[in-house]
Amino acid sequence: MEAIYQYAWLVPVLPLVGAMLVGLGLISFNQVTNRARQLNAVFVVSLLGAAMFLSVALLVSQFQGHAPYIRTLEWAAAGNFHLTMGYTIDHLTALMLVIVTTVAFLVMVYTDGYMAHDPGYVRFYAYLSLFSSSMLGLVVSPNIVQIYIFWELVGMCSYLLVGFWYDRQAAADACQKAFVTNRVGDFGLLLGILGLYWATGSFEFEAIGDRLQILVETGSLSGLLAGLFAILVFLGPVAKSAQFPLHVWLPDAMEGPTPISALIHAATMVAAGVFLIARMYPVFEGIPAAMNVIAFTGAFTAFLGATIAITQNDIKKGLAYSTISQLGYMVMAMGVGAYSAGLFHLMTHAYFKAMLFLGSGSVIHGMEAVVGHDPALAQDMRMMGGLRKFMPITAITFLIGTLAISGIPPFAGFWSKDEILGSAFAANPFLWFVGWATAGITAFYMFRMYFSTFEGKFRGNQSEIRQKLKSAAANTLMSPSPLAPNFGPGAMDTRELAALSDDSHGHGHSEHPHESPRTMTLPLIALAIPSILIGLVGTPYANYFEEFIYPPSETLAEVMEKVAEFDQTEFFIMAGSSVGISLIGITLASLMYLFGKIDPAAIASSIKPLYELSLNKWYFDDIYHRFFVLGSRRLARQVMEVDYRVVDGAVNLTGFFTLISGEGLKYLENGRAQFYALIVFGAVLGLVIVFGVT
Amino acid sequence: MNTANFPWLTTIILLPIAASLLIPFLPDKDGKTVRWYSLVVGLIDFALIVWTFYSQYDFTNPNLQLVESYPWVPQLDLNWSVGVDGLSMPLVILTGFITTLAMLAAWPVTLKPRLFYFLMLAMYGGQIAVFAVQDLLLFFLVWELELIPVYLLLAIWGGKKRQYAATKFILYTAGGSLFILVAALTMAFYGNTVTFDMRAIAAKDYALNFQLWVYAAFLIAYAVKLPIFPLHTWLPDAHGEATAPVHMLLAGILLKMGGYALIRMNAGMLPDAHAYFAPVLVILGVVNIIYAALTSFAQRNLKRKIAYSSISHMGFVVIGIASFTDLGLNGAILQMISHGMIGASLFFLVGATYDRTHTLMLDEMGGVGQKMRKMFAMWTTCAMASLALPGMSGFVAELMVFVGFANSDAYSPTFKIIIVFLMAVGVILTPIYLLSMLREIFYGPENKELVSHEALIDAEPREVFIIACLLVPIIGIGLYPKILTQVYDATTIQLTERLRDSVPTLVSQEVPTLSFRAPAISNK
Repeated sequence: MEAIYQYAWLVPVLPLVGAMLVGLGLISFNQVTNRARQLNAVFVVSLLGAAMFLSVALLVSQFQGHAPYIRTLEWAAAGNFHLTMGYTIDHLTALMLVIVTTVAFLVMVYTDGYMAHDPGYVRFYAYLSLFSSSMLGLVVSPNIVQIYIFWELVGMCSYLLVGFWYDRQAAADACQKAFVTNRVGDFGLLLGILGLYWATGSFEFEAIGDRLQILVETGSLSGLLAGLFAILVFLGPVAKSAQFPLHVWLPDAMEGPTPISALIHAATMVAAGVFLIARMYPVFEGIPAAMNVIAFTGAFTAFLGATIAITQNDIKKGLAYSTISQLGYMVMAMGVGAYSAGLFHLMTHAYFKAMLFLGSGSVIHGMEAVVGHDPALAQDMRMMGGLRKFMPITAITFLIGTLAISGIPPFAGFWSKDEILGSAFAANPFLWFVGWATAGITAFYMFRMYFSTFEGKFRGNQSEIRQKLKSAAANTLMSPSPLAPNFGPGAMDTRELAALSDDSHGHGHSEHPHESPRTMTLPLIALAIPSILIGLVGTPYANYFEEFIYPPSETLAEVMEKVAEFDQTEFFIMAGSSVGISLIGITLASLMYLFGKIDPAAIASSIKPLYELSLNKWYFDDIYHRFFVLGSRRLARQVMEVDYRVVDGAVNLTGFFTLISGEGLKYLENGRAQFYALIVFGAVLGLVIVFGVT
Repeated sequence: MNTANFPWLTTIILLPIAASLLIPFLPDKDGKTVRWYSLVVGLIDFALIVWTFYSQYDFTNPNLQLVESYPWVPQLDLNWSVGVDGLSMPLVILTGFITTLAMLAAWPVTLKPRLFYFLMLAMYGGQIAVFAVQDLLLFFLVWELELIPVYLLLAIWGGKKRQYAATKFILYTAGGSLFILVAALTMAFYGNTVTFDMRAIAAKDYALNFQLWVYAAFLIAYAVKLPIFPLHTWLPDAHGEATAPVHMLLAGILLKMGGYALIRMNAGMLPDAHAYFAPVLVILGVVNIIYAALTSFAQRNLKRKIAYSSISHMGFVVIGIASFTDLGLNGAILQMISHGMIGASLFFLVGATYDRTHTLMLDEMGGVGQKMRKMFAMWTTCAMASLALPGMSGFVAELMVFVGFANSDAYSPTFKIIIVFLMAVGVILTPIYLLSMLREIFYGPENKELVSHEALIDAEPREVFIIACLLVPIIGIGLYPKILTQVYDATTIQLTERLRDSVPTLVSQEVPTLSFRAPAISNK
């Protein structure tokens, strides 16, 4: 068994090798590599497959009780400072490895169908492989600096993949927004790491936690400062896991191809924030203020995401807000001390949300056959409807995912969400209430999505809706961007014309959508299985999950004791109430979007301010744009002006330079400067030689 | 032949200079022989550098090695004295590496090739001499001599405002070097013995007041070169007008002379004054980082944007020097090496892009990535390196400066918290300007006007090769920084020890406390 641990470093390295070889091929022999499309794909996928098998073997070995394994080598040193890098395999890592590799494997298989006609097919595989490698490197990190390194690398991969279709303006803006927003989080994370290192002299998770505890207890470090460091570290997860107030990048990141939305922006990278909180749990645990900040941030984000998701018409954006909301649940769980519940939800969510995203990709793929490659049309649910008849496999798997996320037993989401709500209730009933209400909203918007996509009549051929959506998209294109030239009132932006008539590459060739190819449906089916069943490993009756994943500060015996305390009545009350509110949400959704008994438009107009608030995403984007984007641009321009006029001017005119810069500069500038310089050069040279000879 | 006593360093310095003198006599009709000749000379010299250090240099010895000293002008007590330690040795290698690549980058230069390559080879030797000489008067001479080729390279092969830029460059740097001369002379004549030997000068015991004055004089000279705010404004002008190969030298090597001299002279020879000036340096460094990053963000001219990004990155060097820790100083040196390569690669790419678009204004570009895929990939990689992406050398360097400064016990916690916070703001600003730049050049729909009259040809193999050469060490150091830091670690430890001895109020704080007091150094 020892051998698999010695070679565990292969798990992140194998995909890296794949990415490097394919990438080198693309740069050196572009045409040859691009022509051998599926050969590259098979190569990349099989390397990841090997990593997946190794990960499963590691998980099995850990489950059988193998001791945690750690291996490091010295990476950087200066004087008495030593920094090591390496890998560690423990319960949490083994679990994450399996989640990441399985989802990545299925997404890669799916990609073959989804990107079949894309000219960037091979490049996409190279990026996917690079991302998988970085993500796997992140989860095996034995210290926080290594986490930070891979943390940035997954961010870079996300940047490359969101901007994959770089000729689209929206993608170009989105990838930059994603990177910069994440850098704001990394800024906090970096400061937090530095602060903790300064205080404790260590980068190891448990050593930091233990020493920090001692320092605070002995009074040598003020509790305020310790709390500040912990919250700074938490800023990292806030950005990466798209928590309020840094959640704004995730919905925009949907500009990337759908497979990466499933892999990066639903299952793995955004969950890295939760993973980091879990890793830093020894630090957070001892600081109640930080735990409260985490819990309330999570709860608020869960609510925020759900309320925005209600009004989204873009199927991917809707799912993105749902992801934000679900990540909020996980973060809240961490904050209330429900360590294993949060990670349990991370796992179940990874599977069902990846499936939902891949399902939405399948829908988009099908819709493109009708409306063409225009994201404004192919992703809009107003153009869909009745797709179940055309794409039954997608519909069934999507329904499974919808039931799972809505928390209907026995689907996966029910068990994990219920465990979180139970712990939240024990910690703070208000948090429970927010989570409970959010569960109802979740069920409502997810079924709204399901019904308007798969049920009813197909609306994709109604040209008036199409026209309306197109001009709406053209309007957003024209939205006042500060860099774009201003058009006078009434002036026609030429882009509007282009948007309206741009059917050259777009018009569909068929009357109705079709089911996706097998490479796309097979991963959906494969993901449906864990979405239904995986929750069963963590039922309160036999909680294998909790026996495997528990906080580093607790022992197995303590955990077993807690599990044994399980109270059936309490469980029924909690579960009953959350299932109840979900059912209410589903009923409402079906009345509005399936049977048409209630007109959603009427409700929207009766609570217009709230509707507008949700539709405009609580105005976060507008506020940020005005204050941060425009503000920083203005500040930068002012600094440049100062540099140009004041600093340059002042230094040019002071002291020594005043003598020359008047008449002298003029003299030098009129072409004799070279001559002058040559004279100086010659004189110095001559002097040296003369002295040297004598 | 006894390899140990052979004058290796002198040979390394004089080989390119001697070779440059032969250029006028080369039979060359189409300008192609000269460039091959220069490239081969550059390669031979680089190989010689690598081989010499590989076989003759001992990493564990912190002192000067490969020392040679010959009396040159006895009347002036001027000695040809050269030697390398951990501080100068990596910079000599960097010089050989970047200059050789710059000659390959200069392939398309057709105007007066003989003079151009003559100057390039002269620069080659002159730059190495700056890092290797161990005589203060000689240092001043080579420092001055190396300005002349740069001046001519700017003034003849530059852009439209080349005369202005070249003049400004020469005025600033020549003005700065006057301070070097004055300071060097006063130091040499201080005390009972008159000497220009750097080690002897460093060993003298100066009065504090004297040290402060000399320190300030040196600081002005090197602040121009590095550059440090507010003496930086020559750089965007010079960079805005230079051609790509000259650019690579300016950003890759010339700026590093400032950092090198700051460590060698200010910190190494005047440690007591350094203790007084260090907080000033730290503040200037932070101003550099933030101020230049903001200015870079506002620039619409690609070259000036990158030029300001160089200034911003140099801020980390200054802070590292003033950190009083091994780690911070190590980081400062690493940042110099790392930026030498990253800056050179970015400026090379700017030149290569200009060859195709014939404009440097970002407003006139856009969507270029669709035609120039390889260029796009190289730009993205180098921009990522510049924004300190982990896995590349810039990250390691900045991280070392961060950790080094944050753990420095020479400053009070409050001061450190503020400075580290502001440095970290720079970490947010860097991707903003670099990624907006990428977005405006490559992303989005194609700029119809640009595409209509410029043939955007993708990168040719020579260009890919140059970038690949630069990326190999950038990524190599990023993956395993110890490969480079162990080379100079011994020297920095020795230097830091000396610096720390001169900080009288230094208290070893085992357990940090949050107390509100001014920097320990400044209120002794």
